[in-house]
Amino acid sequence: MLRKSWIVGAVSIFLLAGSALAGTFGKVVSIGGEASDLTLDEARGVLYVANFTANRVEVISLASNTILTSINVAAQPSSITLSPDGHWLLLTHFGNNASPASPTNALTLIDLSANYAKQTFVLGNPPLGAAFGFDNKALVVTTHDYLLFDPTTGQSTQLDTIAGVNAKTVPVPAANFPADITTASVTVSRDRTKIYGLGSSDGTVTFRYDVASHAISPGGVTLASGTLGPRVVSLNNDGSMAMAGWVMVDTAGTFVNFFAQRSNDASVGTTAFDDSRGLMYAQIPAVTGESPTLQVLDSFNLRLRQRLKLPENTKGRSLLSRDSNTLYAVSDSGVLILPVGTLNKSPRVVASTRDMVFRGNFCDPNIATQTLTITDPGGGSTPFTISASSPGVKVSPASGVTPANVTVSVDPSVYQSQKGTVAVTLTLASNAAVNVPDQVRVLINSREPDQRGTFLNIPGTLVDIAADPIRKRYYVLRQDTNEVLVFNSQNNTLMGSLPTYNVPTSMAFTLDNHALLVGHNESQTVAVFDLDALAAQPYIKTSAGAGNVVRSLAVTTRGVLATTEDYQSNWHVIRLDLAARTSTQLATLGVYENKLTPDSVITASPNGSKALVAGADGTVYVYDANVDSFTVSRKDFSGLKGTYAASSLDQFVVGNNLLDSSGVPVAQFESSTGDTSGFVFTGLVGIRTTAPDSASPGVIQRADLSNGSGIRPTHMVEAPLLATSGVAPSVFTHSLAILPDLSMLISLTTSGITVLPYSYDAAVAIPMITSVVSAADMTSQVAPGGLMAVLGNNLSGTNQATTEVPLPTIINDSCLTVNGQPVHMMFISPGQVNAQMPAQATGNVALTMHTPGGISNTFTLTVPSGAPAVFLSATAGDQTNLPTVIRFYNGLVVTATNPVHRGDILTIYLTGLGAVVPPVNDGDAALLDPLSRTVNTPKVSIGGMDAPVLFSGLVPGYVGLYVLNVGVPSNTPQGLSVPLTISQGGLTYSQNVRVVQQQ
Amino acid sequence: MKLVRLFAVCSAAALLPAAMAQKWEVGAGAGGGFYTSKDISLGSTSAEAKFKTNAAFSTFVGQNMGDRWGGELRYSYQLGDAQLKQNSTEATFGAESHTVDYSFLLYTAPQDSKARGFLSGGAGMKFYRGTGTEQITQPLSQYALLTKANDLTAVISVGGGVKMKLGGHAWLRLDVHDYMSPFPKQVITPNAGASVSGWVHDIVPMVAISFGK
Repeated sequence: MLRKSWIVGAVSIFLLAGSALAGTFGKVVSIGGEASDLTLDEARGVLYVANFTANRVEVISLASNTILTSINVAAQPSSITLSPDGHWLLLTHFGNNASPASPTNALTLIDLSANYAKQTFVLGNPPLGAAFGFDNKALVVTTHDYLLFDPTTGQSTQLDTIAGVNAKTVPVPAANFPADITTASVTVSRDRTKIYGLGSSDGTVTFRYDVASHAISPGGVTLASGTLGPRVVSLNNDGSMAMAGWVMVDTAGTFVNFFAQRSNDASVGTTAFDDSRGLMYAQIPAVTGESPTLQVLDSFNLRLRQRLKLPENTKGRSLLSRDSNTLYAVSDSGVLILPVGTLNKSPRVVASTRDMVFRGNFCDPNIATQTLTITDPGGGSTPFTISASSPGVKVSPASGVTPANVTVSVDPSVYQSQKGTVAVTLTLASNAAVNVPDQVRVLINSREPDQRGTFLNIPGTLVDIAADPIRKRYYVLRQDTNEVLVFNSQNNTLMGSLPTYNVPTSMAFTLDNHALLVGHNESQTVAVFDLDALAAQPYIKTSAGAGNVVRSLAVTTRGVLATTEDYQSNWHVIRLDLAARTSTQLATLGVYENKLTPDSVITASPNGSKALVAGADGTVYVYDANVDSFTVSRKDFSGLKGTYAASSLDQFVVGNNLLDSSGVPVAQFESSTGDTSGFVFTGLVGIRTTAPDSASPGVIQRADLSNGSGIRPTHMVEAPLLATSGVAPSVFTHSLAILPDLSMLISLTTSGITVLPYSYDAAVAIPMITSVVSAADMTSQVAPGGLMAVLGNNLSGTNQATTEVPLPTIINDSCLTVNGQPVHMMFISPGQVNAQMPAQATGNVALTMHTPGGISNTFTLTVPSGAPAVFLSATAGDQTNLPTVIRFYNGLVVTATNPVHRGDILTIYLTGLGAVVPPVNDGDAALLDPLSRTVNTPKVSIGGMDAPVLFSGLVPGYVGLYVLNVGVPSNTPQGLSVPLTISQGGLTYSQNVRVVQQQ
Repeated sequence: MKLVRLFAVCSAAALLPAAMAQKWEVGAGAGGGFYTSKDISLGSTSAEAKFKTNAAFSTFVGQNMGDRWGGELRYSYQLGDAQLKQNSTEATFGAESHTVDYSFLLYTAPQDSKARGFLSGGAGMKFYRGTGTEQITQPLSQYALLTKANDLTAVISVGGGVKMKLGGHAWLRLDVHDYMSPFPKQVITPNAGASVSGWVHDIVPMVAISFGK
């Protein structure tokens, strides 16, 4: 035993040590200098690394990840490339030395088949980089020209000149790195058909080179100033997609995706396509100084899949091995070797879900628990810790080793005051794991019964919703995963997903309802989806000359308009050409400048006749499709925010304001219920949602469009989406949709979406309790553990009984509390609720009924320790409400024609006999073994004669149902109406029975 | 059952002196019992209550006290379900009765006649017994409850008949008796509010064989 403990301890220490020491992905090979570039020679099993500051080429073994040898070369080798035939290694030397030193710009050609024989060729201009095409000739790019270098002859041919590229001079201040100095990168696609590059120290110039034709064309990315970090270019296998710094550009020159958050550091980060997995590996720091983290993303749209902790920063080119299993990246110390193909062998921790939903039962203050499973996707045993951001949420255990189940407990009392949904974060961490685990969102909903709607959990950031005008679907735009979620509106189930480009912001239908358009904040495209085929069509390019990204879309009869932000952060309206898949920035907005304030949105009326533009500064514009121009621009408000909508009846809504066809404010909606979130027009009325904050219950109400007055404000189950300070939705929100058949409303809400019937505000009366009696005879008092009937009005909308055991505490959204504790119920109806009085309830207690109509009056009553009452539930022919007194002799209920005989044994079913031993949990059925007997045996008499009690206790298999077995004395008085009395706890129950002679 | 045993012992004791008499007769017979009904009233309505016609059996011991006087002790067992009836609605309940009575007989002819008519009159006890299976419901229960219970009542018996000598010491006997008893309210119990009064007539014609000298 001691030995076993010792082993366990040793293993634990080992694991802890591992976690302390490990926890990053990849291995660093230090080269004793600043690596500027690398190239793979898999045929020889080596990696060549250009050591910029040590003037060497380091030859690193791919097998041992150690430096095999070093090749001394000329000063500042800035880029390195290997010929496809493996014969030549070509280096560029960035020697833009400041006067009085002379420039040393040059090329070094190393013959790999001749013991690293070197030749040096002087360049007239600083080189930006070089890359070999499939023709075994290298494109050498300098600040002034494109040279085609033939290694076999050593001749360079100028293919073209280049202008506007400036280079830094050497020396540079301290703490600058090769990418800061050369500010350039040139790379070739894996098939060596395309070369792409960028350069310039005071701007960015990109180019594309087609190896086959030797044609050079613009690379599509031009930054007039500033940087495009990291200063690295990567291409996919066929060169059709290039990643230049944080911009992904296709062959059409469209910025199809950007990284949303980027520090723009030139010398920190890397990118690499992994076509075999459809992935991109990238380190694009969000902020300077961020911990080194490799993002694994979908290469199509930069959807983030996972993040891996790196031992140090990458700072330049990354190359993927032919088998796609190893990524080699220029890094701080030299080279970072990342075994991406065997990631599963690295310790990671992931949670089984992104969201845990605790749906509130307003009657149940008890702690709710759910299980969260923590695993290592590779199947390993990885230690982890987990913690909650709120004291109302507990996790147990708070640490462990994968795989593990963690119990997450929520104490509803902590969140009682917030009747919407509170989001609590569970932080999963692991020093040993190489990944950065996603946080888990714990959603705690504490709804009251008068809160309408049913919410469906959808993790992530939801930013727009649209109901299909002709199909039984609705679409939810999920921004964090770059997808349109397609829901079946008949059952609210997810039908599928349409991948968008990066950071989608808004949706709109074409007027023929055949296509869905999606704008993006981190892509200069509008995605187009064929709604009949649920398939993507070619995108619409939205650069429109100034590099625009779309904030919102409006489809009018005269075309599709969009509010956009260009690369200089100027906001405009652009027009999309659906046919040509292009866009143009409008020269003017009618007589007004095409110059919007930041975060302006646009929306069109359903018939496409009008469109409204609203700006956060309070400016509005009205577009009239009849004249295809903006006819109104007003600024009647100091600021605008929240929802925006347009009707086919020439009315508009922005925030709390109703505008007429001229954009003139004509009415104001109430603002006491919080910020506006969504609005839909439904003829002469509108429906709007509001909330003070995301954890509160939202309010949905109809709005009278004649005067703006609210109609029947109704609490929602949780808050609708509110404006935030982040990417769309930021100032303006579009969170409410109505199905075309007016059957249902769907709102983006805190946990996902909330579905409400159109008649969400149908009147539901407030419940009222008028009396509480024993469920047995409807007159006696109620004892602990006994069955009671709560009588009143509007206690439920429908009749519903349950046979579920343990008895539920909520039926049909209705529940009952005794002293705030939930009560187990078996039947609810408008006038009566049957339930079990909690076993612990004695003395004065308070009952409250909660229904969708509201909360009842508080009904107080006194609960004695015992209050026997025989069930009047037996029937005999047309006789009803007969006491359930059974003659053991024939098993039939006692009636006048089946009288009690002297000497009989009677079985009496009743309730209210109080405490039992062993006790039974409230709502649970009594057990057969052991039988639960009453603590206090009642006294039974018939006609004044004591009747011996043979058994007094609970009926096995039933809840709150007691049974007495009593003998009938032989001297019991006979008669048609002889009192049978049961006394306990000072209370006596009496029921007359007929007694006759002994048989 | 206790009452039944008591009744049997009493009957045997009564028969004993007769059997020891000098002029004696012992016999047994079978016949039928025909009850008259009684109305059980409930407000302005009523239901007929009675015991249904059924077989009757008896055994008796006779004693000649003179040439034309005699007496006999008789035990009768009679089947006959208790019955409640109102129009086409009826309720029945298994029942039977045991009767012990002593009657004086006045003969129309002397002892050595081949045929002797006689009139009888006497009294005794009648034991009604409900034997049916009690049910939780019963038609017409608002009037009376047919119960598995017992009634021990007085009985007055009047009747007459004829004895015909078959040869030797055997006699054929044809007689009819009317056993009159109070209404048996334990077996047919008037329900609350209902009432019944009067006597029940039980007309029992019987054929019997007796032996004596």
